[in-house]
Amino acid sequence: MSRFMAVTVALIKNWLRSRSGLFFSFLFPIMLLLVFGAIFGGTGSSSYSLYYQNRDRTVDGSETQLATSLIQALNSTKAFSLTQIPADVEPKEYVTDRAGFFGGNIRILIIPENFQQDVLNGTIRVQLGISLGTAVTFYKLFEPTLNVTEKMTILNEIDILNQTYQAFPKRNSTLELILDSSDQSAQVVKGIIVSVVNSFNYGLIGATHVIAFQEGLIETRKFRTIDYYVPGLIAAFIMTNGIIGVTGNSTEFKRRGIIKRLATTPLTKLDWILGNILSQTLLNLLLTAAIIVVGWLVFGVQAIPDVYALLLIFSGSVMFSGIGMVLSGFIKDVEAASAVGNAITFPMMFLSGTYWPIEFMPQILQQISKAMPLTYFSDGLRNAMIYQYLPGVFSNLAIILALAAVFMVLGVFTTRWRER
Amino acid sequence: MPEPVVEVDHLVKRYGDLVAVNDAAFKVSQGEIFALLGPNGAGKTTVIEILECLRTPSEGTAKVFDQDVTNNAGAREIRSRIGVLPQDFNGLDKLTVRENVDFFGAMFRRRVPTQELLKTLGLEDKAKVRFETLSGGLKQRVGIAAALVNDPELVFLDEPTTGLDPKARRDVWKVIRSLKAMNKTVLLSSHYMEEAQILADRIAIINRGKIVALGTPHELIDDVGASRRIILRRGGAPVAELLRKRFDQVRVEEDGDVVVQLTGVSQVWTALSLLAEAKVEKDVDVVLPTIEDVFLKVIGTRITEEGELA
Repeated sequence: MSRFMAVTVALIKNWLRSRSGLFFSFLFPIMLLLVFGAIFGGTGSSSYSLYYQNRDRTVDGSETQLATSLIQALNSTKAFSLTQIPADVEPKEYVTDRAGFFGGNIRILIIPENFQQDVLNGTIRVQLGISLGTAVTFYKLFEPTLNVTEKMTILNEIDILNQTYQAFPKRNSTLELILDSSDQSAQVVKGIIVSVVNSFNYGLIGATHVIAFQEGLIETRKFRTIDYYVPGLIAAFIMTNGIIGVTGNSTEFKRRGIIKRLATTPLTKLDWILGNILSQTLLNLLLTAAIIVVGWLVFGVQAIPDVYALLLIFSGSVMFSGIGMVLSGFIKDVEAASAVGNAITFPMMFLSGTYWPIEFMPQILQQISKAMPLTYFSDGLRNAMIYQYLPGVFSNLAIILALAAVFMVLGVFTTRWRER
Repeated sequence: MPEPVVEVDHLVKRYGDLVAVNDAAFKVSQGEIFALLGPNGAGKTTVIEILECLRTPSEGTAKVFDQDVTNNAGAREIRSRIGVLPQDFNGLDKLTVRENVDFFGAMFRRRVPTQELLKTLGLEDKAKVRFETLSGGLKQRVGIAAALVNDPELVFLDEPTTGLDPKARRDVWKVIRSLKAMNKTVLLSSHYMEEAQILADRIAIINRGKIVALGTPHELIDDVGASRRIILRRGGAPVAELLRKRFDQVRVEEDGDVVVQLTGVSQVWTALSLLAEAKVEKDVDVVLPTIEDVFLKVIGTRITEEGELA
């Protein structure tokens, strides 16, 4: 067995037999996967709670047909979990009283009195307005070809239409939507309700869709939300294992004189660095396999790494282990290694689009994210495992390979084999 | 005269203003056990680490197997032929004893079978035990096994018994003696006088980076003229008076013991004859000088158990 392979095997054994190493390298990522899976695995309800109060009643007290249809339309979107508020109560108090111990977001839609009547009036007025406008346009268009009698007849008809149009009161029906300002889903809820109401408006005036909308999916496999977290989770923990794992391990070995002892043997500095990087890479492949297997068994995860993803995982591991080796050259004690490792990995984990899209972040943070190696790693993995978009894989892979080479070379320079 | 395995000449090592090694010079011959004896911070480890190619000298030369330690090709040659037991040896905690020895062995082309080493060092029954669970003495034995795994011609043992209990210390001494029997050259450092005296063929006493005395234990004792002593148990004043007729340095201890300081072997016989003629029937101890006496004479103070100057 070559020297660097001996280092690789020994480090892997040492790591796998360490409880803390095993916990932070394998169990913690899997625990996080289970938490993400439980939240986004698709087994729970993904609808928004919405209270509604229907104040639009007929003379006999029953709900009007139009208000009922609106509620049914909202219900048919499957976006809402609807709860009705009695018509005779104050809606905010009613909902607040029922918020329960843990509270919750308050979203109330109030259908006003005379909703049906006002909507029908408004609809007829709109349709009359359209007819009137059409008649006037046609009259102006064909006026030169008409004789005096025809003109008089048409103008008379237009006048009657106009009088009828003016007879309908210009009164719109206004739905009241009460939202909590702290509700992060408020804009989404509002958007869905506006969309339903618009469809309702178009339907009432008999409009048809001129612009059609066809939905297409970029993914080639059927994925659920949890699948989108898997590449990010793998990327984040490969980074953590590489930077914190290698730095911590090397610093501890340095403190205990093991590196110095090895330096008295024919083992070279490069053998040592390669052994560290290879051991971490193999552990990362093992971690990836563990995440995928657990994800598949528990949540039916479909985002399985292909050869491109494995290539990315390999290069990413080399890159982050290289960063770890560079840091090890400067850091003297284990506590400092942990502090520096966390100071580097934590911001990177949250600013590199690992758990949420970079577009969600302010412009300045989006610029910062471009300087973070994890951005390219998680982006590349997502392209490989989810979108199967090869240009996206190769562009990120090129950046990762270049960074891996840079950090390897720096690692050789910063690792001391002979004391001064 | 066998070929020197180690040659150190005008060796200086500075760290800024601190001179850790100051003009050290010595040679170690093939098959010899050579001890660097001195208190903590005397420069023992620095000298050893220079010879192990871990540190670069500031001035002077250091050669091992006739190879300059500062030369990269020379260092490669040296590293393949030496065995090293560093101060406070540590293996990989989660690996077993056998795995640790195998790990260090994998670094060399020339290998002694692990099983053979474990047997030699009495570690056979600990082969499958994890390093982290071993006692200090056993850890040190694993360190020695790792140092011998390439069948080295020269073995560096830096403070091999520091922190060990007396039994573990004697076990390590036994192993070191067996190295001599295997015709290996050993360069050891220690702050234990007894250890250096018992194990070493030659001793270099080092203090503040300077070698202040060098020779075989006998040579050192003779050179500094360390005195022998005769102790007459409960001799009391009459015996003291008798001895004062011939010797200057006679004193009576509080418990009545009479102590006579003598400079050479002939004086010992003279004193014993005098006591026999006077028919003094008291128990007599003849205390020979030790390296500790030499150290006391050369440095002016003793070394504590922890390795500090008293």
